[in-house]
Amino acid sequence: MAAADSPSAALRRDLCSRGIRLAGKMRADVVDLLDAYVEQQGLDASASVAAVEGVPLAAVERWDEQTGTQRLLQNLAAYRAFRALLAQMLEEQREQLGEADAGLGRALAALLLQVSAFAYHLEELLRLESRGIPGEEEGDEEEEDGPPPPPRLSLFEQKLRGLGVLRELAQWAVRSVRDLRQLAKPSPATGAA
Amino acid sequence: DSHIQYERVGADVTMKCGSMDWDAAVTWTANGTDIDESHLNGSYLILKNVDLSQSGQYSCYEGSSWHLKYQTYLRVGTPPKEPVLMCRSNNYPKGFYCSWHLPTPTYIPNTFNISVIHGTKDMVCEKDAIPKNRCHIRYLQLFSTVKYKVTLTVTNALGKNFTTLTFDEFAIVKPDPPESVVAKPVPNNPRRLEVSWQNPSSWPDPESFPLKFFLRYRPLILDQWQHVELSDGTSHTITDAYAGKEYIIQVAAKDNDIGTWSDWSVAVHATPWTEEPKHLTTEAQITETTSASTSSFMAPPTTKICDKGAMVGSVAMAVCWTAGLVVAAYSVLFI
Repeated sequence: MAAADSPSAALRRDLCSRGIRLAGKMRADVVDLLDAYVEQQGLDASASVAAVEGVPLAAVERWDEQTGTQRLLQNLAAYRAFRALLAQMLEEQREQLGEADAGLGRALAALLLQVSAFAYHLEELLRLESRGIPGEEEGDEEEEDGPPPPPRLSLFEQKLRGLGVLRELAQWAVRSVRDLRQLAKPSPATGAA
Repeated sequence: DSHIQYERVGADVTMKCGSMDWDAAVTWTANGTDIDESHLNGSYLILKNVDLSQSGQYSCYEGSSWHLKYQTYLRVGTPPKEPVLMCRSNNYPKGFYCSWHLPTPTYIPNTFNISVIHGTKDMVCEKDAIPKNRCHIRYLQLFSTVKYKVTLTVTNALGKNFTTLTFDEFAIVKPDPPESVVAKPVPNNPRRLEVSWQNPSSWPDPESFPLKFFLRYRPLILDQWQHVELSDGTSHTITDAYAGKEYIIQVAAKDNDIGTWSDWSVAVHATPWTEEPKHLTTEAQITETTSASTSSFMAPPTTKICDKGAMVGSVAMAVCWTAGLVVAAYSVLFI
């Protein structure tokens, strides 16, 4: 236990604890937003939404075998993607702006802030692990000057995609809490689970 | 030539005596007892509107030689009704189990077949040896939004039926109740009870998947429970117990983030510490009432409660047993 009290271990535990609280709050807000979104968009809450391109799936195999670094990198990639997806949803909301949706727009904006904050928090943890922070363009396989604009979806398709985004974000928030708990455990070697 | 014959309750059953002609002279027996000829049509045995009591061994003998010509075991029963299916994860994140039963018996053998699909993927539910109506699955993926679909089919000789459950990974998480719940009085503290418990042994990794707990307690004499939710730790001190009253205490558990609460644990009883009586007084003997206490921590009967030395410092609590019940009711008003 003496090793667990080293300054970096204590800082890691502290960052993990704060991250767990952030993710917990984020999840509670996503769940509330999901209820409001389904109602205001006139969707069926039990509707199955096929995996949408660009939405990072929280589902993972052999989760317990992942190293700490793998967890952080996957979380960071996911929340960066959610940041872009929520920003897109917000823009679409503004285009369809009506009074009934103003509250939804504010809730989406608040969630976007939380997702951004969490992504930053993950970067802090990665720095602590002495890992380089991957650039946001990493994994982008499109032209060098940026990805092509996504195809224009119909209003209904936008709503369904929004449902998929929020559902998957809710799953990620739970997964992130679990990942950070694993990370907070004292580990024998750097970068190990 | 012996075999089993399954028939529905209420059916009309005709049994032929093997290859014997219709007009052959035969004798039928049921479980060794001759059957009256009024049930025969030629050599055929006719059983109308059969009921469960008519299950048994039916034998047909050639009239003169008493050679056994045919034997069958009649099993009267019903086709299966829609089975009751339940799936639950009490060992998250390892996997989940499904268990089932029939709402009413069929009185004949049934076979159960279960299929589990996750998205487009078929999963194998491994049957448990004990109990027989249960199988378990290991999670291959965690944190999936794709639902699981479980279909249970029950088949017997008279028909089949099925039921389907659809759920997502988080919804079925329900731990077993906490174990080893212990409640003890706290010495020199007449209003405290110390409660401790353990995580259910079936929960595989409480460090990574911590549980939170819900404690409920009430004095036996009242119906209203007090509740406390605890986000960590496996112990709690009750500080507002009524002095001298026996309490019933239970604990439930839930994963910190997902799923539903467990059933309540086994109930434990305890009574807060009370001071030993210094002496018996005449007044106390007069006011003594019988109290059926089952707790070993209960101080000797009632007399000392009237002793001023036993006052616990709270006006609401400094009363005799004879008024104890009344005050308990009044005290509720102050909560």
